Amino acid sequence: MLQVEAVDKSFGDFMAVCQANLSVGKGELVAVIGPNGAGKTTLFNLITGQLWPDRGRIAFKGEDINGLHPYEICKKGIARSFQIVNIFPRLTVFGNVQVAVLSQQRKSSDLFPPARNVAREQTDSILDSLGLSDKATHTAGSLSHGDQKILEIAIALGNEPEFLILDEPTAGMSPEETAATLELIMNLASSRGLTILFCEHDMDVVFSISQSIMVMHQGRTLIQGRPEEVRENREVQEAYLGGR
Amino acid sequence: MELGQGLDLASLGSQLLVGLSRAMILFVVCAGLSFVLGVLRVPNVAHGSLYMIGAFAAYSIFRFFGSSTAGFWLALILAPFVVALVSLIAERALFCHLYQREHLMLLLFTFALMLIFGDLVKLTWGPEYCSVVPPKMLRGSISVFGSSLPRYNFFLLIVGPLVAIALWFFTNKTKIGKVSRAAAVDREMVGVIGINVSWVFAAAFVIGCYLAGLGGALVVPTVSVCLGMDHDIIIEAFLIVTIGGLGNMWGALVGSLIFGVTQSLGVLFWPQFAIVFPYAAVVIVLLLRPRGLLKSVW
Amino acid sequence: MFKGTIDVKSLRFIGAILILLLILPLIFPRFYIYMLALIFVTSLLAMSLNVVLGHGMIFQFHHGVFYGVGAYTTALMLSKTSLPMWLGFVAGPIAAALVGLLIGWFCIRLTRLYFGMLQISLGSLIWAIAFRWYAFTGGDDGIHGIPLPSLISSLNSAYYFILIILVICLVALYLILKSPFGSTLEAIRDNPQRCEAVGVNVRRHQLKAIVIATFFAGVAGVLFVVLEGSVFPDLLFWVLSLEIFIMCLLGGWFTFAGPVLGAAIMVSLRTFVGIFTEYWTLILGVILILLIFFLPEGVMGYFLERFRPQARELAEGRGE
Repeated sequence: MLQVEAVDKSFGDFMAVCQANLSVGKGELVAVIGPNGAGKTTLFNLITGQLWPDRGRIAFKGEDINGLHPYEICKKGIARSFQIVNIFPRLTVFGNVQVAVLSQQRKSSDLFPPARNVAREQTDSILDSLGLSDKATHTAGSLSHGDQKILEIAIALGNEPEFLILDEPTAGMSPEETAATLELIMNLASSRGLTILFCEHDMDVVFSISQSIMVMHQGRTLIQGRPEEVRENREVQEAYLGGR
Repeated sequence: MELGQGLDLASLGSQLLVGLSRAMILFVVCAGLSFVLGVLRVPNVAHGSLYMIGAFAAYSIFRFFGSSTAGFWLALILAPFVVALVSLIAERALFCHLYQREHLMLLLFTFALMLIFGDLVKLTWGPEYCSVVPPKMLRGSISVFGSSLPRYNFFLLIVGPLVAIALWFFTNKTKIGKVSRAAAVDREMVGVIGINVSWVFAAAFVIGCYLAGLGGALVVPTVSVCLGMDHDIIIEAFLIVTIGGLGNMWGALVGSLIFGVTQSLGVLFWPQFAIVFPYAAVVIVLLLRPRGLLKSVW
Repeated sequence: MFKGTIDVKSLRFIGAILILLLILPLIFPRFYIYMLALIFVTSLLAMSLNVVLGHGMIFQFHHGVFYGVGAYTTALMLSKTSLPMWLGFVAGPIAAALVGLLIGWFCIRLTRLYFGMLQISLGSLIWAIAFRWYAFTGGDDGIHGIPLPSLISSLNSAYYFILIILVICLVALYLILKSPFGSTLEAIRDNPQRCEAVGVNVRRHQLKAIVIATFFAGVAGVLFVVLEGSVFPDLLFWVLSLEIFIMCLLGGWFTFAGPVLGAAIMVSLRTFVGIFTEYWTLILGVILILLIFFLPEGVMGYFLERFRPQARELAEGRGE
């Protein structure tokens, strides 16, 4: 579904991503791992259009998407959540998700009817499935960190994507929150038939739920394969897993 | 529609020089504005008012010393310090408390200062026009390119580059200057290494305002000093600083030259719409290079 | 379709004010009626700016240009052509919106401060042309004695006309800001990057908002012509633009009707203070400083913050 081929990106002299490769099939749950600074977020930014690659090709469902703007890529069916919480702090929780739903329904520029009556069912059902219904009228800025991370995902879901990118969805969460969020992600994958690409630091999590893992190190792709393959790989062990 | 007469090389040359000398005054003022903009990241709307205060202060000092030659030079030296003092008071009393707030609030504060200073000037000096006659050695004109150019304009053509050199020396060779440049780029770092950022801002603000006052004092013999000078100059200064590159002193020079020269050429070619030429030039520059011609400090 | 947009209590309150405003010309002397009409015109202008400023965080530093363009277009059409008068009235806002689209299109490529600066320079260019083109625009004198339809040429009838147009515009603005368009605009204000990521073409949306804002500024310009019968280059000068900015802040720029309040306060203060002293600008400066230090959310914003917790409980109680 998503093909990243030999992608380069540098900032001045610093090569953030070098010859990165990634392949995600439809319906798969794929993880990208690597130490801090390995280039994971940059890679995600390249896929979703916040950055444009210097070289290489990124294709979604067979179509080239390099050089498109983020909003165009979103309309193709890719949605993402951000590593650092990137919500609309002044809007309510409902309002946050509604922005995405409105955009997906191409109603962002509608002048009537009043927004509160538009796209209620879809927005409510997303809030419901993520357990945020009781906080729908709260200002997003006032939520706890864990809830804000979930809101991050909720907003991405508002776009009814086929392909969901989650950038460190459990960062800063307690173990219970982490477990709950993971169950959520797995349910999303199965119930909505979503293809999910995510990155995480918690290795137990990654190895337990992913079907395919891509390892990055200093901007390069070391390997992509099934969890067992990756675990056995010597390069990965040296670079990242500490020779386990 | 009538075109200016005497479109020959002589008038072209002398108009060019007039434009250049006017550009020198614009440069002194805009260098100050740019400096403050670079360090504090706030466009000081009151900069024009300080220019006006400098002009009026120069006038008063000149009159105080009996309208003599000595009075003229004293005015030129002292007036900018008066302005610097005024700005220091405003900064320490009010401005410095706002540094934590968003930039829009700082901008509005400077706008409030402009309103207040404008009326304070009206209160102090009244609504009449004031004029100052330069000392003998700078009076009259010199013949150049077959037509005459006021001597005072030549004086300005010398002072301008001197100010530029002094500023360059200051920002590159003195400690305060270097710290200011560092603060412009990364104020947190400067704070981390133990320098009081608030005092750096105060110094930068006062220096910038000093330059505004200097510009005001310099312009006095060439125009009638009156209320409304602040409104006229601040828009020009803003535009010049924008096309030059925010916070960039050389950008202020380039912008001033463009502005001054296009305005004087405009007088030559289409007097009725002379004022449109510099604005049009600004628009063209911004459409081609929206971030200014030279690199902005941040 | 519009259920729940506005509650009955507010409607009654607004209705009462409207009735009051309608009967005022029968009681108050001319001076106050004139001032009220001026407040109406200025309120509409401030409201139009706030569409992009408070709800979109677009630094429209020279909004006055569109006001002036609307006013001048109408003035020129009414006084220099023999086209039907209503055409002149309609041309004003359309011209303002077209200029808004043009200037907006150039400026929208830039971020905040540069946007504001480019707009100031383009606006100043227009001002400079109007200021000097004596033959066409009357230069620094402006245009006077503009012929108006006899139906609205007296002060009282002008008052009613302006009031009616103001109410219509306010209703329209309310609907626009509460629509999906408005909520998306506010989302862009809060986090443009995220909006891009959820599929919103941020630039185009902002441009649409600018066109709407400048259209209503043009309407305000037409109303000015109706009230004064003249136009001056001051309408295009940047000082006016900054004053409108202050009105929005004074009233409360994150609220709907804040700008109306701000305009009312500014115009009445300026009129009354002007009777006692010629140093109105000094007082305005001091007010602005007090505002910055003590009331950054504006007058209405301040009151809303104090009473909002109760308002939210009410809303949640109603199950919204």
